[in-house]
Amino acid sequence: MEHFLHELWIARWALAQGLLLTVEISAASILCGSLIGLLAGIGLTYGKWPLRLPIRAAVDSIRGIPVLVLILASFYLLTFAGINLTAVESGLFALSIFCGAHMGEIIRGALQSIPVTQIDAGRAIGLTFPKILIYVLIPQAMRQIMPVWVNTGAELVKASTLLSVIGTGELLLRTQEIVGRNFMTLEFYALCGFLYFLINSVIERLGKFASRRFALQ
Amino acid sequence: MNRWKFTLLAGLCAATLASGFGNAALAGKLEDVLQRGKLIVGTGVGNPPWHFRDEKGDMAGFDVDVAKIVAKGLFGDDTKIEYVNQASDARIPNLVTDKVDITCQFMTVTAERAQQVNFTIPYYREGVGLMMTAGGKYKSRDEMKAAGAGVTVSVLQNVYAEEMVHYALPEAKVDQYESVDLMYQALNSGRADAAATDMSSLQWFMKQNPGKYVDGGYGWNPQTYSCAVKRGDQDFLNFVNIAFREALTGVEFGTYSKSFEMWFGVKPPEPKVGFPEELR
Repeated sequence: MEHFLHELWIARWALAQGLLLTVEISAASILCGSLIGLLAGIGLTYGKWPLRLPIRAAVDSIRGIPVLVLILASFYLLTFAGINLTAVESGLFALSIFCGAHMGEIIRGALQSIPVTQIDAGRAIGLTFPKILIYVLIPQAMRQIMPVWVNTGAELVKASTLLSVIGTGELLLRTQEIVGRNFMTLEFYALCGFLYFLINSVIERLGKFASRRFALQ
Repeated sequence: MNRWKFTLLAGLCAATLASGFGNAALAGKLEDVLQRGKLIVGTGVGNPPWHFRDEKGDMAGFDVDVAKIVAKGLFGDDTKIEYVNQASDARIPNLVTDKVDITCQFMTVTAERAQQVNFTIPYYREGVGLMMTAGGKYKSRDEMKAAGAGVTVSVLQNVYAEEMVHYALPEAKVDQYESVDLMYQALNSGRADAAATDMSSLQWFMKQNPGKYVDGGYGWNPQTYSCAVKRGDQDFLNFVNIAFREALTGVEFGTYSKSFEMWFGVKPPEPKVGFPEELR
């Protein structure tokens, strides 16, 4: 134990950096992904077919590709299209579109479950479609979206570990670096797992807090 | 094959045009690197004594020192390096897609690989050894060879891994692991009877854990380590080769020698003054 604490003290900054990068990348890609997902979900539900078709194709193909392949493709394949992203950038890109595709489908489902009569009711009191979306549809959809969104967020934090394969210095890679030096495999991987658990329980708490905001009284 | 090449070429052309600095790309790697003011080196992190992060969080190891020789030659300053952390299977892709200028990551020279990247002159010759836990079931390679198929050997994931182990232990079961620490973990937990890996790594590990492990007393499988650069830029390759040659035989020998001794515990043979022996 003393040996572990000593090694932990030596590794404290490396671990802190990794944790920070994991939180940053996760937060940024959840944010970007949710925005993409919102637009995709609205497009899928209310768009005409020329809009719906390309979104459907993109959402389905991204959801059908493993995240690891998406990450490797953003890092290597985009180079041949003249876009040379760094490891962090391509990781952000891959996780954002991954999250966006999933959120798009979740938001489409939530919006479609709202009775069409709600739109009619909105029209009857003279609201334009964007206003119907903001004041009538999205608040009702949020109730369904919130729990799944929290789940997607937690999945994304876990998926961020895959960025270690392209050399993004996030928590898992930092842990691997430390283990590579001191060979304390069990101790540091356990700590790493615990830190991921902590991040995800914070997300869950925040999600519960936000869910209450949209709950029916 | 032709069609693939055409696609690749078309992609590269598009890349050059789209990036809008066609001139810089045409000038050659050496000029690019000098203009940028730092060398981008691809290497790993989890394999001491080759490449790892030391306790201060800085890159260290023999591969890193070799990269520093190039940076010193370029800028007169061996700190002007940006390290790109890559797994072993990313060594060639990262060169081909220009993610790194040079890869120094205990890369074994093979003719197949030389079709995809340009190798520099070698900086080390590695061999493979066996390591067992002290007080374990087997004490030497001979005992394990006699035990036949009952022996499990943990080894770092590699195309030649099976073949390599079977040269020394023809009937042994081979378990491949992704990193050195997992391979040692297999040995510690008893999943494997012996670990087979580069002699340098074994020696380093035994030095870190005195008394806990024993050497199998057998070394085989010579392989040459070189850095690699992207194919097709002879000028940059020449530059790196000269930097290495002078580290192995000339003005930078002191730097090379110090690093060699630090990571492998022995001094490399001094270059003989007078006639340049390597040309004999």
